[in-house]
Amino acid sequence: MDSIRIQTHDFNLAEEYQFLRELSPAVGAVVTFTGLVRDFELDSSIDSLSLQHYPGMTEILLQEIVDQANLRWNLIATTVIHRVGELLPRDQIVFVGVASQHRADAFQAAQFLMDFLKIKATFWKQVSQDGEHRWVENKESDTDAATRWDIKND
Amino acid sequence: MISILFFGRLGDFAKNAPRTVKASTPAQIRELLTIKHPALAKELSQPQVLVSVNQMIVGWEQPLMDGSEVAFLPPVTGG
Repeated sequence: MDSIRIQTHDFNLAEEYQFLRELSPAVGAVVTFTGLVRDFELDSSIDSLSLQHYPGMTEILLQEIVDQANLRWNLIATTVIHRVGELLPRDQIVFVGVASQHRADAFQAAQFLMDFLKIKATFWKQVSQDGEHRWVENKESDTDAATRWDIKND
Repeated sequence: MISILFFGRLGDFAKNAPRTVKASTPAQIRELLTIKHPALAKELSQPQVLVSVNQMIVGWEQPLMDGSEVAFLPPVTGG
């Protein structure tokens, strides 16, 4: 059972964990990852972050990534939540939760989902620094992180 | 007509660009934009920019149908 949500409002980590935990008595492992808004970008502090996405296409791309994870590992359920709109430092921005029978599947799938979300999903960050707006550049380290999974990236 | 969308920093270059055009491929849209919007067309020529048609990543020579939605996508930065 997979859930993909793109939303402006915050999410509740405890509720998301509880949902995955209680889904089935076969669940033996739940791995969750939460990404937060940092207060700096390129060594300068930021005032706020604005997240744009491509409605419709983002959901399709995230579903493809989740489908890949399901093919690769034995998963019981996956939840992916990504916030859009205006965010502040320390805000929660992204959640990935994976439930499986055994821990290796959940650990690896969670990392895989984040690695590919970073390079595939159609989100764009713009930071506000001292009243100036600037689009965030993509990082080579993110592309490198995804190459470890031995899947063609384009 | 073809509807066109610009995301991320491309949107900043496309403030006065048309949102509907007549064109047979995404490459032709880029070509049409060079006349009145050279800065935008130059940005679209960056090798990292991807193009989608009806929400599927495609090549620049993908044939377009009337009513297609073409989006120009700079490198993504979510997560």
